[in-house]
Amino acid sequence: MKIGRRGFLSFVIGGAAGTALSPLPWKLTDDSSIWTQMWPWTPVPEDGEASYVNSVCTLCPGHCGITVRKIDNRAVKIEGMKGHPVNNGGMCLLGLSGLQLLYGPMRVKTPLKRTGKRGQGRWEKISWNDAVSEVVEKLRDIRSEGHPQTVGFISGSDRGTVSRLFERFLTAYGSPNFMRMPSVRDSYELTQYLMQGVQALPGFDFENTDFVLSFGSGLIEGWGSPVRMSRVHSAWQSAGVKVIQIEPRLSNTAAKSDKWIPINPGTEAALAMGLAHVIVKESLYDADFIENYVEGFFDWKNLVIDKYSPDTVASITGIDSRTIVVLARGFANASKPLAVCGRGNGTTPVSLDECMAVHALNALVGNINKKGGVWAVSEPDYINWPEIEMDAKAAAGMQHERLDGAGSKTYPFTRYLLPRLPETIDSGEKNPLQALFVSGANPLYTHPDTRAVRNVFDKIPFVVSFSSYMDETAQNADLILPNHIYLERYEDVPTPAGMIQPVIGLSKPVVEPQFDTRHVGDVIIQMAKGLGGSVAKTFPWDSYDSCLKETLGGRWNSLIEEGFWENNGAMPPFFGTSYETASGKFELINKDAGSIPQFKPVSIEGDEKDYPLLLIPYDSIRLASGFIGDPPFVMKTVEDSILKGKDVFVELNPKTARKQGLGEGQRVVLTTPKGKAEVRVHLFEGIMPGLVALPRGLGHTAGDEYLAGKGINFNALIGPVEDPDSGLDTAWGIRAKLEKA
Amino acid sequence: MKEGRTHKRFQKFGMVIDLDKCTGCGSCMVACMAENNVPFRKDESNKLLSITWMRVYQLTNGMPFPETDVCYLPRPCMQCAGQHEGHSPCVSVCPAIATDYSMESGIVSQIYTRCFGCRYCMASCPYHARYFNWWDPIWPDGMEKYLSPNVSPRMRGVVEKCSFCFHRYQLAKDRAFMEGRRELQEDEYQTACTQACPAGAITFGDLNNPKHAVSKMVEPDPKHSGRPKNPVAFRLLERLGTNPKVYYLSSRQWVRHAGDNYLENEKKVKKPVQHG
Amino acid sequence: MHTLDDHAKDISEDAAGEAGPNSSLEMNLKEQDTGAGGTIILFFILGLFASLVVGWIVFPKLLYSKKKQPIEFNHVLHVEAVDNGCESCHFFREDGTFSGAPKLDQCIDCHEEIQGISPDEIKFVEEYVSKGREVPWLIYSRQPDCVFFSHAAHIKGARMDCVACHGHIGESESLKVYEENRITGYSRDIWGKSIGGFKKNTWDRMKMDDCAECHRENAANIERTDVQTPTQRLIDHMVNLVSPGTSTFGKGGSVQTERDPCFACHK
Repeated sequence: MKIGRRGFLSFVIGGAAGTALSPLPWKLTDDSSIWTQMWPWTPVPEDGEASYVNSVCTLCPGHCGITVRKIDNRAVKIEGMKGHPVNNGGMCLLGLSGLQLLYGPMRVKTPLKRTGKRGQGRWEKISWNDAVSEVVEKLRDIRSEGHPQTVGFISGSDRGTVSRLFERFLTAYGSPNFMRMPSVRDSYELTQYLMQGVQALPGFDFENTDFVLSFGSGLIEGWGSPVRMSRVHSAWQSAGVKVIQIEPRLSNTAAKSDKWIPINPGTEAALAMGLAHVIVKESLYDADFIENYVEGFFDWKNLVIDKYSPDTVASITGIDSRTIVVLARGFANASKPLAVCGRGNGTTPVSLDECMAVHALNALVGNINKKGGVWAVSEPDYINWPEIEMDAKAAAGMQHERLDGAGSKTYPFTRYLLPRLPETIDSGEKNPLQALFVSGANPLYTHPDTRAVRNVFDKIPFVVSFSSYMDETAQNADLILPNHIYLERYEDVPTPAGMIQPVIGLSKPVVEPQFDTRHVGDVIIQMAKGLGGSVAKTFPWDSYDSCLKETLGGRWNSLIEEGFWENNGAMPPFFGTSYETASGKFELINKDAGSIPQFKPVSIEGDEKDYPLLLIPYDSIRLASGFIGDPPFVMKTVEDSILKGKDVFVELNPKTARKQGLGEGQRVVLTTPKGKAEVRVHLFEGIMPGLVALPRGLGHTAGDEYLAGKGINFNALIGPVEDPDSGLDTAWGIRAKLEKA
Repeated sequence: MKEGRTHKRFQKFGMVIDLDKCTGCGSCMVACMAENNVPFRKDESNKLLSITWMRVYQLTNGMPFPETDVCYLPRPCMQCAGQHEGHSPCVSVCPAIATDYSMESGIVSQIYTRCFGCRYCMASCPYHARYFNWWDPIWPDGMEKYLSPNVSPRMRGVVEKCSFCFHRYQLAKDRAFMEGRRELQEDEYQTACTQACPAGAITFGDLNNPKHAVSKMVEPDPKHSGRPKNPVAFRLLERLGTNPKVYYLSSRQWVRHAGDNYLENEKKVKKPVQHG
Repeated sequence: MHTLDDHAKDISEDAAGEAGPNSSLEMNLKEQDTGAGGTIILFFILGLFASLVVGWIVFPKLLYSKKKQPIEFNHVLHVEAVDNGCESCHFFREDGTFSGAPKLDQCIDCHEEIQGISPDEIKFVEEYVSKGREVPWLIYSRQPDCVFFSHAAHIKGARMDCVACHGHIGESESLKVYEENRITGYSRDIWGKSIGGFKKNTWDRMKMDDCAECHRENAANIERTDVQTPTQRLIDHMVNLVSPGTSTFGKGGSVQTERDPCFACHK
């Protein structure tokens, strides 16, 4: 039988009819549509048992309590811990992105040893044993040559057991060179020491004040403990607390304040003296406090009346003299006024003049160690380790002067002067620093004059970084011994910056260490044991965890359960008798220090003729500018008026822009005496004419593609300026010029 | 308030954001991203492409130095109810029924598996609250470990938007069922942004429930499509008639005025007038 | 004008003009026509039959691959050994989430050491318990990522039985073969054993429509007077009288579909 065309066609039609009557096409359609939803590269997160682990975030000195939600053993969300005294459930955006740091590509996954030149990025993986042995060998060599004091340690903090272990190690080894990263705490520490005779932390009772006078402090830009400040700021809104913000630029803090007073940058100390002048002249000060508990008022008063009249101050600061008088009256007449200083997020020290002038204002209104005032907070004294028994080498080493010049004849009272280290290293022919350890800090990024710092760094023969991330400093180190990140380790967390109630937090491991990292505390103990002798004896613990448990003693159990221990109802040191100065009183003028409160303008670099504009930094809470850079989530929040593609925008007042012939978005070259960079212009009415503002936190050269290569590092354009009274770097800006690109 | 056969009172989940307290920190943006598996790219500076379910805008009063003032305004999805409840601009145009309005909760849902990416809803949303996945999301090297199983990660070609963390409602109901009840307390269902805000500027709750903080704060007027009776409260683009569920509080008049488009001769008007 | 018909007439006239052989040619043609028709019908039927066979029998065989579970698990044995039935191993956590297939920790409670004589148990203890490896069970009821299913709402809230959706798995002595759809990767239990999607019992299928069926009858029925005009409502009532339960309008909170809102079940 011939099939033929018709037969074939009818077969096909029959087949089609049958297919339509069978489930094949319908099922295939359903299946195909499901198939299109299932690209294998779209992850399907696995479900499991949800659990919560409490811990403390240590990405900034804010130390908020966190609770981390886990699904089985994956951490999926960081949330604020409700009921925690610092943040009560709130979280800042950096803390919220912690998981991107935990699981992200910036992590250093094993100990690394440099092959190739410094900064080339060529590393070989080595084992922990090899890494620690190499360090121990190097240290042993230095020690046997008789120069233990040539070993230095840069640490982000000097509080808590880990930092104290670093210091203990150096002391037993024979080096006084434990250095803490600079911040406004340096200024406050020195001020409180000189004026009150105590070594303490500055604490501010913002919760009970009714008038806040802020000299440029970015109260909601990340100053102090950021979440605590946000909370208390909201409370101020509801309670009608008056906030006066004094700074040359409209920061978020200034925008939300009751009054923003623009001031010529760098003249805050003059204003403080001017306000003091009015308060003294109109007798608005707390006479009782001044008479009974303050020394040197007479001399101080004459100085202030003589030199800082409102008109004089008006010409220095650019603020109307009437405004000064009204402000002084408002401040002094409030029932619990509080003055604070520390520009932006408080990571740059202020000059001693400025800090003392502001502190003096607080003394004038009698709010020292009182409710709503500034307190000298002592750390809860729980670190009670056995005395360090130094051997002869260590004792000899400790006799040497610190390499950063702190505690020297020039700067006898300042405790840490890291910015002066490059100078010392550069000075002689032989480098006085043979080995440097860095932990919890990123000086190659955060230190001013990055080019000079890099040059100096290259002169240090042996650099070890404990960083968990491949940051700028780690990139230029010889050995990286990666620490667990905060979510993977136990650590005690001391009182957050600016709090008045001492709080000890306990950071707990939320997940198992994800990579081959080791707790820096363990590494220090192993290094000590490796060195043997008296150094090993100073470290009687087997591991960091056992050291911590022992140190915390009876508090351990409640810390494990609650996550924090707070000294509820801690009273401030009594405002009457808590001064350990020579006179036993609060000293407005400190003769020992030879410092007389006054306004000496910080000599910023640059000639006005060559550099007609002033470059100042500004801080945004969305740009982390410390030892951690922005994780990808936080980078996403950076506005396109700050960063577009790889270009950063500088803020310029439209008047200034018009004078220079520059328009919005225009590409310009920003040049300072320290460097130059190509940036773009953003016209902003909220900045004083004649100023150029550049945000801090961008311009990373290390890190992943989400962070690196975007914008400019402010620190590359500015250099340190030494405060003659304290030695601290108090450069608040630098002269600059803008030219069309 | 409609009652059903099951005598279930309809809820109307809404938000009140106090712009006096908002510091512009961006925690709400990041909390939302972390909670909802939102993808991120290497360059996020093109804000037309950047996916931020919650976005903080900066408003300025346009005055020269030194009278300049700025204010920050967080904007989640407004969960518009439209003129007749349920006729949100986006729900009305979706050809795939990928977005839907629930009368029981007042939330506009987005179902990713139905969406085929025509972006008609993006065109209709006056608040730019909807975002399109132009590319497949890439989570670098191990970061997919932090993804939450409670929110479906999206593939390219679908639109996504704030869902008032509805997955938290689902989980809270689970817990409630265990305890033998169906009603949720005010603090059992809170969005991630509300929870994270360090300034406590965001409040979330049921606008239909007079006991909840949100209804006490703004006093929505049921006779005028939920317009706030509180004189310092306002909604964005009130006069478009979208009937949004996110209210803002500001003691500054220029901020309240920035919430809608006023003509020059209307600048003096203190309270926004509802047209149509 | 010369039309086609005229042309045809011409031809047949020509053909008729020649007697004898032409007429037989016509006859032959007629015979052939009848044959062709038969062929058409035959092939049609052949095609129909072949495609039906392919669609109903061959297709399911090709579509599903058979996989064995890693361990042969005897449910009956275990259900007898525990106190709480299904909930002993498939339980609710405190926060209301469902534990699903038990993790190794649960099994270890009893199976730290070998309890019986079956070779599967020995394999389990040796390869999984002693090594701390989770057993990679193949889950029959696995739904796509877009689905949010709350066991708490159904078991605690609606007081349903496990059997209604999962069938009589608790009475099985071994785990049935896992038939995986080669295109989608999901189990055959989702679409149903019947390739045509027909079901006899509620547990035969687990597609969205099956959930919707039950919800339509039993769950959140809210009479929505806001969406229908009076005429629509009248028609709705009439439809309900004629065939009760088939009217799908006016129930449920969704504005588009007037059924349950989408994110009751989706995430």
